[in-house]
Amino acid sequence: MERLRYILQDALVNIRRSRWGGLASIGTIAVSFVIVGIFLIITRNLGALVTEWKEQFQVTVFLEDGITPEQLALLKKRIESERAVKATTYTSKEEALQSFKRELRGKESLLEGLGENPIPASLQLRIHEAYQTPEALRQFTASLGRLEGVEDVLYGQEWVDRLAAAVRMLRLLGLSVGLALGMASLLIVSNTIRLAVYARAEEIEIMRLVGATKMHIRAPFLLEGMIQGGLGSGLALLLLFGAYRLTLWQLQLTPGQIFGVGVGSFLDPRWGGAMLLAGGGLGAFGSLISVGRFLRA
Amino acid sequence: MIQFFHVYKTFTRDVEALADINLHVQKGEFIFIAGPSGAGKTTLLRLLFRDELPTSGQILVNGRNVVKLRERAIPHLRRSIGVIFQDFKLLRDRSVFDNLALVYRVLGVPAAVGKRKVANLLKLVGLSHKAQMTPYRLSGGEQQRVAIARALMNDPVLLLADEPTGDLDADLAADVMRLLGDIHARGTTVVVATHDMNMVRDLGRRAIILKGGRIVEEHQ
Repeated sequence: MERLRYILQDALVNIRRSRWGGLASIGTIAVSFVIVGIFLIITRNLGALVTEWKEQFQVTVFLEDGITPEQLALLKKRIESERAVKATTYTSKEEALQSFKRELRGKESLLEGLGENPIPASLQLRIHEAYQTPEALRQFTASLGRLEGVEDVLYGQEWVDRLAAAVRMLRLLGLSVGLALGMASLLIVSNTIRLAVYARAEEIEIMRLVGATKMHIRAPFLLEGMIQGGLGSGLALLLLFGAYRLTLWQLQLTPGQIFGVGVGSFLDPRWGGAMLLAGGGLGAFGSLISVGRFLRA
Repeated sequence: MIQFFHVYKTFTRDVEALADINLHVQKGEFIFIAGPSGAGKTTLLRLLFRDELPTSGQILVNGRNVVKLRERAIPHLRRSIGVIFQDFKLLRDRSVFDNLALVYRVLGVPAAVGKRKVANLLKLVGLSHKAQMTPYRLSGGEQQRVAIARALMNDPVLLLADEPTGDLDADLAADVMRLLGDIHARGTTVVVATHDMNMVRDLGRRAIILKGGRIVEEHQ
């Protein structure tokens, strides 16, 4: 419709006129979204890390030195039948010693006075995530410890749990910060639009005189707010991406190399899209507040 | 076209602007609302295009009950009315053309049609050659003519003029009144509020005299 074209034209003229105010709005929104984006990226990567580590989580069952092959076979069968166990890997005393020697690269002399191989054979168990709660693990490892041929059971769950808790807290923090910044952005956009509305007060009065509907008066301002918001979040995405690329380049890493795991990713594209929408929405809302207040007065 | 039934308008603190106004204006009439400043002329006009609501009484404009009108319907009412003010109410930072174009943009009329209308109206008021100027560069009389052209943009059935000759000297005032006469001749109902009793007498049209918010005289 012809009206839509006029509204778009009015919005663009408005934007050109409130140049500096518009830039202030865009800038504030960009900063807010950059901060939120940083939180999102960090939590995404840490979250992926936690998932990865949980996947590779192991319980180590150390075996008594004198265990017979039959006892070993029986033990393996017994353990593999447990629902909690995803897979088992056997490491003999010799393999364990070799592996230890490799880790001591250059300091093998420390082992010279050892005589007999003190390192026990072991079974590494991969555990299903569902059973990785502190309670389940405690029970499971206790029952494992009572089995014949088992010397000791080892697992290091606490710190993975702690990391998961830290990620949850970061998410919460990010959300709160995001909310606070969102409100600040709202106020700034609202104020910028309010100034724009007052600048056009005369024109609006004449428009109402001539028979313009409230929607017709609101629309260009709504559009202006939306554009400011969208540009702000778009700018934030660009800045985030640039910083992300820069960080990787500075650390001389490809995304897959951080922590040796498939981590170091940018934002989920869905979140990127959500940010753009949120920016536009924020701008539109801020504009609605100002225009509404003006029209009511 | 216009009917007032026992219309009262009281502002806050018991300022009685209008009291017991009863008025009938036929379609196609030309009528003066005359009286001294503060008599209530402007208030009366503002009631007609729903800029104010009466404290009591009924008002019909072109068959529509203005008092009972829903807020959503007000823009529609105003699109059939043209209003001219003493202070012109033109946008000073826009050209004459843009001031008029505002109207067809609000109405959603296609640009080509709207531009033609603007050109026609500027010719009618004799300002085609000044279309690109801003109001700053125009005389008082010229600005008023632009205001009249704008009021005609939506082909109103009713034209309201609030002191259209208020700030103008005799010659320019005559020009404006002649223009209003032409518009009236084309069938538009014209209502002119003025304190210039001489002009009212000279032009010999129907006139309502207001004083202290009441109708005190009527001339045919």
